[in-house]
Parts: sequence; C-alpha cells; structure tokens
Amino acid sequence: MRKIMVVASGLLLLSLSLAWWVASRQQKPVEIIPVLTGQPEYCLTCHAELPEISSSHPVKTFGCVSCHGGERLALNADLAHSTMRGGANPSDLAVAEISCGGSSCHSGSEAENRDHIQRVMTSVQSTYAGAIANIRFTFGAQPDLIAQFGIKAIMDEHTQSGIQSLQEFNASAETNPMIQKFGENCLNCHLHAAPQKGNAFVRQTGCAACHSTGKHTLSTAIPYTQCNACHNRGNYDLRTMTFVERTDQPVDRVHDYYQPIAQFTKCEYTLDCVDCHTRSEAMGDGDIHSNQKEIQYVQCKTCHGTLNELPLTKTLADPNDIAFRMSILNPVVGLKIGDTILMTEKGEPLWNTRVLSDGTYEMIGKATKQRFNFRPVMGSTCQQNPKEQSSQYCHKCHSVER
Amino acid sequence: MRPNFFHHLHPPTIPAAQSRWRYTLGAGGTAVFLMLVLALTGALEMFFYIPTPEQAAVSIQTITYLVPFGGLVRNLHFWAAQLLVIVSMVHLARVIFTGAYTPPRRFNYVLGLILFIVSIFINFTGYILRWDTGIQWALVVGTNLIKTIPIIGNDLYGILIGGSEPGPSTLIRFYAWHIFVLAIVLAGLGAWHAFRVRRDGGIALPPPGLRADPGRISRFELVRRETLAMILTGAALIVFSAFSPAPIGPAITEVRLLTTDSRAPWFFLWVQQMLKWGDPFLWGVLAPVTVLMVVALIPYFFPNPKQSELGQWFPKSNRLAQVVLTALAFCIVLLTILNIQSAP
Repeated sequence: MRKIMVVASGLLLLSLSLAWWVASRQQKPVEIIPVLTGQPEYCLTCHAELPEISSSHPVKTFGCVSCHGGERLALNADLAHSTMRGGANPSDLAVAEISCGGSSCHSGSEAENRDHIQRVMTSVQSTYAGAIANIRFTFGAQPDLIAQFGIKAIMDEHTQSGIQSLQEFNASAETNPMIQKFGENCLNCHLHAAPQKGNAFVRQTGCAACHSTGKHTLSTAIPYTQCNACHNRGNYDLRTMTFVERTDQPVDRVHDYYQPIAQFTKCEYTLDCVDCHTRSEAMGDGDIHSNQKEIQYVQCKTCHGTLNELPLTKTLADPNDIAFRMSILNPVVGLKIGDTILMTEKGEPLWNTRVLSDGTYEMIGKATKQRFNFRPVMGSTCQQNPKEQSSQYCHKCHSVER
Repeated sequence: MRPNFFHHLHPPTIPAAQSRWRYTLGAGGTAVFLMLVLALTGALEMFFYIPTPEQAAVSIQTITYLVPFGGLVRNLHFWAAQLLVIVSMVHLARVIFTGAYTPPRRFNYVLGLILFIVSIFINFTGYILRWDTGIQWALVVGTNLIKTIPIIGNDLYGILIGGSEPGPSTLIRFYAWHIFVLAIVLAGLGAWHAFRVRRDGGIALPPPGLRADPGRISRFELVRRETLAMILTGAALIVFSAFSPAPIGPAITEVRLLTTDSRAPWFFLWVQQMLKWGDPFLWGVLAPVTVLMVVALIPYFFPNPKQSELGQWFPKSNRLAQVVLTALAFCIVLLTILNIQSAP
C-alpha cells in the first residue's frame, strides 16, 4: 500500500508539473489600454507585427477593438476573432457604420463634412444606380433614366437631388434576359456588391476599397493604382453583357494608367487621380444620383481656367477650413493662414495647390509628393473655342501618344 | 496510531466487502471529492467572476486567459462538474444493478436521487453563469419550458428568471442559486446521505451470517484507500484540465437571438431531442419528470432483491429494475446521439 501511495503521489506531482508546463508555454499577454476606451486589449499578443494603420488612428488611442470588434481579452484565436466586424475588414459597408461611424467619427454632420459613411452609402460608387437605370431604360424596363434601383436599397432623408430612395435591384425579378445577365455579371465592382472572384476583380470592400493602400494601412494619399483596381482594368461588352479584361501588359506608368483606347494628357497620367478629383466626386456628395456625370465635374479648366477666366482661388482665413484638415491627414504641403489655393466651382478646396507670386500655380502630388508647376490658359497661345470647354476638347491638342 | 479527524469520520472497522472497488466503483466517495474540488475552484473563481450580463463573459475570459493558472482552475471546475454528473449516474446505476436500494436503504436512495437532481441543477445554473453565446439555447428555450407548466408556470418563471425574459436579474438569481442555495443544499443533503449510509449499516451487504467474506478492514486502511482514490482522480482531472479547455464564447448581446450552435448542455441533449417532437410541456417537462419518477419509485413498487443476494452485481431477484434502468439509459443515450448527429 505504501508503495502504491508513493507512486500515486508521484503521479499527482507529475500532473501538477504538466499543468505548470502547459501554463508556462502560453504566450505572455501583451496589453494595451487605448485612451478612447480605457479597456485593456490583448490583440497585440499575436498581432504585434502589424503596422500602425494610419497616423490618424494611432493604436495607443484607438486600440484594435474600437474598429475591429472581437473579444478583447481572449488569447484564443477562434474566440478572439469570433465577434470581429466584417472579418478582416471592419470598413466593409455592411458594418462600416458601427466600425467607422459614430457622431465623433465618420458619420458626423454634413455641415462639418464628417458624413463620410452617408456619402459613400448613397454614392454611385456604391449604388451603381446610373448604370442600372441606363440598362433598364435601354431594354425597356423603365420609361426614363431616373434611378429607381441600387445594388442595395438606400434612403436619403435630406435629399437635394430629389431622389429619396432606391429599391434593391433584383436581377432575377427582371423579365429581360439582358438585364438579368447584367445583374449577374456587372455589379461586382461597386461597393454595395461583393467583389467577384478572380485576379481582375481584386479589390477590398467598403472604405478600404479606396483607402487601404497596403497591409493594415489607411490613407488619403491614394495612388492611381488603387483606383485602377476597379477603373481602367477592362470594359463591359454590352452585346454579351460580360466584362472583358484588358489584355495589354503595361510596364510603365503611362501605359498602366489608362486603357489602350483612352485619350489623355501628360498631366493626367503624371498626377494621381486624387490630385484632380475631389472627395465629393470620389465619395459622393450625400445625395442619390442617377448618373456619374451628375457627380464628376472637375475638368482641365478647374485648375487651368479658360482663355477669358483664371481658375477660382481661395485665400485661407479660417483655421477651421476643411483644407487644413485635409492637409493634416496627408501632410504633403504645409498650409498656412493667408495662403491662396485653387478652388473648384463647387467650392471644394484643391488643398494641394498654391497660387504663386508670379501668377503661376504649383501642385504637390498627394501620393507622389512631386512638385508640379503649371500656368493658366489665360495669356497663353491656346486657340480653343470658348464654347468648347470640357476636357475632351483639350485632349484634341494636348493628348499624348501612349 | 491515534485516529485523526479524518479517521474519526469513518467507523472503526468495516466489512472488507463494503470497500471493494469492483463492487462500489468508488462512485460515492469520488462524488464527495469532486464536490470538494468544485467548492475550492469555485471559491477561487468568485474572486474574479462578475455576475452582470455585460461583465460575466468578459470576467470569465479574464479568468481563463489573464489570471495566472485561472484557465486551469476554471477547467478543473468545469470538468469536475461534468465528472460529478457522470459519477452520480454511475453511482445510481451501481445502486440499482446491485439492488442496494432495498430497505432499510430506501429512504437514502431517494435522498441520493434528490442529490443527483440538485447536482444537475447546480451544474445547469453554473452553465448559465457563462452568459456567452454557447448557453443561449438553455437560457431561452430551456427556461421557457417553465412557462409551459400549467397554472404555476408563469409565476414560477417570474420567480426563477426574475422578469418576463432573461436579463440581469436572471443572472444574479442563478448566481445566488449556484454559489449559495444549491451549494448549501448539496452539502447538507450530502452530509445527511453519508450519515444515512452509516445509520443503515454501511454499504449494502447480506446479513452477517450469509456473507461469503467475513474479513474487516480498519478505518486507517479505509482512509488510505480513499486518499489513493482522491489522488488518482485529482491527477487525472489535472491532466485532463491542462489539455482540454472548458467551453467559452463571446458575451451574449441580444438574449433572444439564437446562434447557430444552439445546443443544450450535454446532460439535457436527450430532452432537447424530444422537444423536436412537439408539445414542449409533454416532452420537455412531463417526459423527464416521468423518467425520474419511475427511477424514484423503483424501491417502492418493483420487486426488491433478496437480502442474501445483496453485495453482488445483478442479483436475479431485482431483474425488473435492472431491465427498466437499462431501457431508460438506452433511450437517453440514443436520443443524445440522435441530437448530436442532427443539425443544430
């Protein structure tokens, strides 16, 4: 009996040391207590290698859970990830309102220009309302080109465009087979739709589709390659209602930027899309529109003016001017009170430009940080017809060979 | 050697046949040991557990992942609790398959059965304390069964759940039942049960004249054997707990929202399977209570084994009880398997 007791006690000791060993093998928890929540999080125990997502969202302030959700204390991957919002992408539009929204974040007031989520939700980039209306009109399913459907149903209670809501487009409820095919093949670029599988269709969803320019990165310095994840990567063939990928294999920027059929000027491919196109063009203006043309308005003349007029300018006097906020988010220029910058006809600041003392202008590339010097058309030898002011007419003389 | 406190909890000598492992399976003693483990580990958990819907699951994650050896303590508490249910079942089966419930042990049999029910309830209330998405079926569907009881159902639900649906008062009530009321009842009835074992003449054996083995062992030997059983059970429990984490999940955010994994706790899976057949009162309340009543009434209505046949497995004279228990156990196991195999 004594021997058995000794053996049994040995077994008990062994089991205790085994439990000790198992416990000691566990990773040492890495704690952060984000300023905004004040609640400890242990995500960094495993995710220490991730880069800071952006200088506007420092991990010390936001932590991980504010945006990603998840179980902040769990050290087991399955449990920790079980309640994450949008999988690896909390900015997916299905969850963006919870992850990125909130009145002090990105679903604030329109007056303060903090209604980003509302603007994206109603934007044609998300709804695809224009194309849906166009196709339905073409194949006789609706009498006009006014949008009735979006990829998802959407409401705009404070409409200025007149369209209060879109119903969800249901291709299978359509009678025309071409519209059905359009529904199957042609929605997937737009943010309310899930991306299609396949290399040509690689894009992220939600805010990250544009703003995530690398692994765990959010940025407003968006290079053209980000835009080209959707734009300029092929065309829809309207006869077959299929998407045809571009087949050229560009090796340099000039060939990569636009599709082979496009006409463009040197500045168009030297700059990045976001250097000219504004936030309201890219993210929407908060209204539901029936067509991309209602929202895209920046032309060559926005910066260069016409023969008779100089471009619009604005001298910064208000420290709360949105131009300052935007330049802080992407500090490629050091704007000061008293600087004069260019401004679009809708009053949006082209905050990365400046009017120089000699009457010329400079622009700093938002993604490339390159400095460009440019002149107004007024006073030049340009022989344009004053009635032909859209960019296509500039392309007649100024387009470059690919 | 002078007997110490623990020796004095036992009779000076007992018949050797009463302490034979292959006869008793050591089930009753193991149950006592498991209760001690549960009290100790439960007391440790109480230092960190916060019984509010917002904090319960979070505090359990704290215990599991951040408190030194908290995960081990929680796993021990969990596995000891599951083992207690299993050991209690084994104990019940042993008593019936050896006919040990026969008078004068009839009353203690009923006491034991009540202890079994209390241990199920204390397990169930502990399960609810997790307040994570894994327990939602029990919290919503399980407690709704109370409402189906005629006349008193709604009032009883209000008393037990503390409102018209599960919420903060449910959690605090289940906490009070778990750590206080049921724990005290379990300890009290357990002591009474053990006292009755001694009062009824120890573990069932034939009268002295009919015993095959007249040998006796001392209380010193008995305590040694019990200690050995405790050490081995403890070691097994520790090893198991070191490698098998207890279930854990994210906090419940919406009580009525059932997740895909809507399983009952394992010992109620058979009831959950019967609930698929229809009427919740019939299958969820009446059927389990009937099973329990049949088992409870075995010593009172079924043929009792002969005194001479006591102290051995499967006496011929109580075949009916053996067959009935086997049939019930078979049905319960079958229903459990059917439930596990079916989609949740």
